[in-house]
Amino acid sequence: MPAAESAYRREFPVKGGDFAKAGAAACAIKELLKDLGLDAATVRRAAIVAYESEMNVIMYAREARMDLTVTPREVRIVVDDRGPGIADVELALTEGYSTATAEMRELGFGAGMGLPNIKRNADVFAIDSEVGRGTRLDIIIRTNGHVTP
Amino acid sequence: MNDRNFHAIHITRDKCIGCVRCMSACPTRAIRVEDGKARIIDQLCIDCAECLRVCPHDAVHSHTTSFAALEAFEYKVAIPSTVIYGQFGPTVVPNEILSALRRVGFDEVYDLSSICELNCAATEEYLAEHPRPRPYITATCPVVVRIIQRRYPSLCGQILPIEPPREIAAKILRTILPKSLGIPPEKIGIIHITPCPAKIVSINSPATLAKSYLDGAISIRDIFPQILKALRKSDEDAMMRHLFPETLFSGIGMGWPLSGGETRGLKSHRAVAVSGIRDTMRVLDEVEGGLLQDIDLLECTVCPDGCVGGPLGVENRFLAKSRILELVAAAGEHAVVDQKDVSRLYHKNFLSFDHPVTPTEPRPLDSDPARAIRKAKRREKITAGLPMKDCGICGAPDCRTLADDIVRGFARLEDCPFVKGKKEKR
Repeated sequence: MPAAESAYRREFPVKGGDFAKAGAAACAIKELLKDLGLDAATVRRAAIVAYESEMNVIMYAREARMDLTVTPREVRIVVDDRGPGIADVELALTEGYSTATAEMRELGFGAGMGLPNIKRNADVFAIDSEVGRGTRLDIIIRTNGHVTP
Repeated sequence: MNDRNFHAIHITRDKCIGCVRCMSACPTRAIRVEDGKARIIDQLCIDCAECLRVCPHDAVHSHTTSFAALEAFEYKVAIPSTVIYGQFGPTVVPNEILSALRRVGFDEVYDLSSICELNCAATEEYLAEHPRPRPYITATCPVVVRIIQRRYPSLCGQILPIEPPREIAAKILRTILPKSLGIPPEKIGIIHITPCPAKIVSINSPATLAKSYLDGAISIRDIFPQILKALRKSDEDAMMRHLFPETLFSGIGMGWPLSGGETRGLKSHRAVAVSGIRDTMRVLDEVEGGLLQDIDLLECTVCPDGCVGGPLGVENRFLAKSRILELVAAAGEHAVVDQKDVSRLYHKNFLSFDHPVTPTEPRPLDSDPARAIRKAKRREKITAGLPMKDCGICGAPDCRTLADDIVRGFARLEDCPFVKGKKEKR
């Protein structure tokens, strides 16, 4: 990461079970990245990562902090949640695997695409989870260079 | 003309008293009040007409085509939106309305319902041939296309590249009429009649065509009195009342202007319909976030309940909707369009866009990334010092937008009456 003053940082708190605000943090992140002049493809990938990870927190965790760091070269999103943790990370990264309840599925979630989708859109993907404590995702998306208006 | 900043909506300064209603209603925060008058920022406006709906002083107008402008054409053709069938109460049938339009001064008038059905059949064919991406988004509402270009640039490739019925109908007529009538194409005027202020934008500055096949758009509101007069006249002429040139209405296409109507005819694809500008933006946000991939087609119309809720209609949209639903039921479910014809036109690319939708220029805080980051930080600091009352007195719709304007160099911190008051006390 380059010198601190050239990076943009912001945290977004997310509360578990707060479906009314679902997507709010992801939307704010997306708007910010557009204002910072990142190219559309990078914004899209970051939006997908932010959306999926925010939904994971809302569906499974008690609370989390999403930390956004942007430099001209990359977008980094760190999601640190306090929640049940994931017993088998490898399994959770398998497309189609989901522990979503019938209720969540009714809302259109739980297709088992969340984590795999995040991984697919990340250039660097790290996951660290402890059952009973929580999960930490660390994602880096490299920008394709800037769109000059 | 293909000016990307052409707009249908404009503010009549003489009538504007500088209240902040339009500014607060604007979903893209495109309005500022300066020196007591509202001003629209061209790069942000999507022509949704929310401002036109809320203005209590009749100061927001749209550039629709005037009836007098039609005199330039030797032969005048009208293709009214099917919304028109819902404007006249339960005793006036569609054929009477089309006939009245002929009396008003059009040489020929064509019903759009069958073309709507044709569009739906072509859409089904396109979806079957293109399993990805999902969801596709319909291109009928010109505001949805504009909003995607401006705010959701990464979704441009998800706009389903089939022209809306009004353009398909005009293209067919433009191909056939000059030959059959022996009149040069430029002397034939093809006019859409619509409740929508944004159609004129898609005609004057099309997002997907080199040139629109339409010559103008007249608002239902403007032409309504003349149709009413013509209907009364035909009433006197009792013998003619039910003797119309034969028109085959499509029940599948008739419901097109109601939210969900564009996709109702799909047989083997999953569609979702959204209406209203704010809900449309919410759902597009979700699509940009990678959701709704299990949906084949997303129909978005920014007017409430679909085109029937367009601000330039006359009848209230609930009555209009109920009337159109009666007509849909009366016309029945049977197809009037031959699937083989559709297939042929579709595979000849007769129904497709000339070119894909491309994003408009983005509007970052600064073209230099490092400076943009500094400005974003400064914007946050400024926002933290603002009262967050979103009163609009500064001339921006809310405190966050004022902070944004300040870092972009369009406003000053002292524009905020709270900040200014505090400074003066000191």
